[in-house]
Amino acid sequence: MERGLSAQDQQFRQEMREFFTTQIPQEIRAKAHTGEELTKDDIATTHRLLHAAGMAVPAWPVEWGGKDWSNRQRYLWFDELQLAGVPAPLAFNANMIGPVLATFASEEMKARFLPPTAALDIWWCQGFSEPEAGSDLASLRTTAVRDGDEYVVNGQKTWTTLGQYADWIFALVRTDPAAPKPQQGISMLLIEMTSPGVTVRPIQLIDGGHEVNEVFFDNVRVPADNLVGEENHGWDYAKFLLGNERVGVAPVGWIKRKLADVKAHAAQVAEGEGTLLDDPLLAARIAELECDLAALELTVLRVAANSHHGKPDPASSILKLRGSQIQQDVLELMVDVAGPASLAWEPGDDTPDWARRSAPVYLNFRKASIYGGSNEVQRSVISSGILGLKG
Amino acid sequence: MFDAKLWRALAEMGTLGLPFPEEAGGMGAGPVEVMIVASELGRAGVRSPYAETMVAGTLLGDDALLGSLCDGSALVVPALTEPGRAWSPLPVGVVLSGGAASGVRAPVPYAAAADHVVTTARAGDSTAILAVDAPVSSTLDLAGKAIRVLAEDGEATVRRAINLGILALGAEALGAMDTALALTVDYLKTRKQFGVPLARFQTLTQRAADMYTSVELTRSVVYFAAMSLAADPDDEVAIARLKVSAGKAGRHVGQEAVQLHGGIGVTAEYAVSHLLARLTAIEHTYGDARYHLARLARRVGDYGALDLMA
Ligand SMILES: Cc1cc2nc3c(=O)[nH]c(=O)nc-3n(C[C@H](O)[C@H](O)[C@H](O)COP(=O)(O)OP(=O)(O)OC[C@H]3O[C@@H](n4cnc5c(N)ncnc54)[C@H](O)[C@@H]3O)c2cc1C
Repeated sequence: MERGLSAQDQQFRQEMREFFTTQIPQEIRAKAHTGEELTKDDIATTHRLLHAAGMAVPAWPVEWGGKDWSNRQRYLWFDELQLAGVPAPLAFNANMIGPVLATFASEEMKARFLPPTAALDIWWCQGFSEPEAGSDLASLRTTAVRDGDEYVVNGQKTWTTLGQYADWIFALVRTDPAAPKPQQGISMLLIEMTSPGVTVRPIQLIDGGHEVNEVFFDNVRVPADNLVGEENHGWDYAKFLLGNERVGVAPVGWIKRKLADVKAHAAQVAEGEGTLLDDPLLAARIAELECDLAALELTVLRVAANSHHGKPDPASSILKLRGSQIQQDVLELMVDVAGPASLAWEPGDDTPDWARRSAPVYLNFRKASIYGGSNEVQRSVISSGILGLKG
Repeated sequence: MFDAKLWRALAEMGTLGLPFPEEAGGMGAGPVEVMIVASELGRAGVRSPYAETMVAGTLLGDDALLGSLCDGSALVVPALTEPGRAWSPLPVGVVLSGGAASGVRAPVPYAAAADHVVTTARAGDSTAILAVDAPVSSTLDLAGKAIRVLAEDGEATVRRAINLGILALGAEALGAMDTALALTVDYLKTRKQFGVPLARFQTLTQRAADMYTSVELTRSVVYFAAMSLAADPDDEVAIARLKVSAGKAGRHVGQEAVQLHGGIGVTAEYAVSHLLARLTAIEHTYGDARYHLARLARRVGDYGALDLMA
């Protein structure tokens, strides 16, 4: 870890900033400031623009479209992307199934799926959680029974984010119910959402939005070729995927952007003779969050610098934990800055968009400490995996 | 409280003069090395005026006394607090006028062992740095005291000195937190209640995980503050953020270490109580988290997004 940036990295950062702020449409980026919901088109347009510039999947192996960037450059790419309000490349493609396939799939499967996954010609969704299998994911019950050169899938997934737009789902299914440990009987299957027997039903969230779904499988026939890696090894692939999710998830640049917006908004909200930003208590909360954020960012950088050969530094477990907490803190602060204006959710009056969206976004992001391994689960990972507290 | 033997050993290893110029008897190293030494002192639970020495040495500037500070033959301590006044890096009630000083400094750290004291005084619009070359008591009334003026206009030096002192304290706090966490983890594994090790109780292990999180985040901030001072000894923002982070983490980790030990945690016999006491003292030296947060808060409107790499 070095203080500051080398001249080369400074130039890299400038190029990224230039690209994101000039090549990604302003209407899409503006939604990051107001917390407006992104449409399918917003996400797809951005992903494809990034892909065309070779910037959608920089962390992938170079032969599949990745970039030979340093850790620091990859960090700057993501930081600048978020600072500019650019929606990230679709996580299910770029951070989840892509790396799994690149690492574990047959050459044939890589060639078939990785190019359209990078280009978002396939929109993926993640079929892990089930109604009875949340934190205890290994207890999942959706079954896949081999029948000739097909699997027959029955069961239900839930919380499937953006499943309503998805072309394919990567699903964890139980292929060996008799395995001595529940983890040993799980496989990963790639299933087309248009297959007969797949039904998607929306779940409305706390903010009234529709981003998650239930997905039902009723005798869905899946070609056996769509098995990832080996049968009954799905748990290893899932753990790999969740590990990547944890490292990639600290939204440092996003929080920076929001904190800067909090300040700008606070300077516009009148209080007494001045503005809210003049209130020392509010300023102290901002300053404290900046201290917390600085500590998080420095830890992200330290951890990235210390990971070798894909083995993350153990301290990476704290990134999801603190990243979600600080993300939630800044959104809470945004509602507080909006104050009475946060009560107006619907458009149509003089309430500015950022204030109108502040409460729904704050409420929506309570999810951040629940998904991707809840914060309680992260603490268990730290206490047993790092501190050796196994009771 | 002051361990002369230990101090000689630290001097022999060259740690006392670490950041000071070789011509003055120092080692010509920098803040990163100070950070490493201080964090080891904290980890080992060694109580010593190490941070005070970093401050005093910086305040001495090119004074000949610096050589004796570096070789350990003289203990020089800074006297920077005023009785009845919250922390202020610059003097308020201590005044230099017509070659004579007035005002009171208290408490003076390690006064009983100190051979010399360096302090500051208001001299018109500027801040003077003074030396008292005689033993003093913990309350130092400067009226009528023989003083030497080391600098007439020393404000920048004072701020630099405090920056380095805070870095040393923050690093010491990090080391102390490392040990507090290690002792706690060990205790949870070995202490049995209800027929099982305490580590069986998730309410405790989840809290140990939070302690770990606080410690690792502080480590990043300490390293960065050291690199920041190496690049710019006047970087007060990185130092203020360090003092805030280390202050909050020190309270969290210190208090939880005691709590998770139960009754033995509040005994003088056992190390965690000393670590919490030391972390508490560090938090209240050279400005606490509140003081530094207030300074940071006053400037949040001056810039947009946080940029650590600028
Ligand atoms: C908005 C949103 C989007 C999501 N998107 C997807 C998706 O696209 N694909 C997908 O597969 N899943 C998705 N998830 C599911 C997510 O991964 C699960 O919600 C998560 O794993 C937690 O499971 P659960 O909701 O069943 O809670 P539970 O596991 O029932 O947990 C309830 C509470 O108990 C705590 N708890 C549970 N076990 C322990 C334990 N051992 N020790 C201590 N505390 C414990 C939890 O932390 C939580 O506080 C999404 C969830 C949300 C909210």
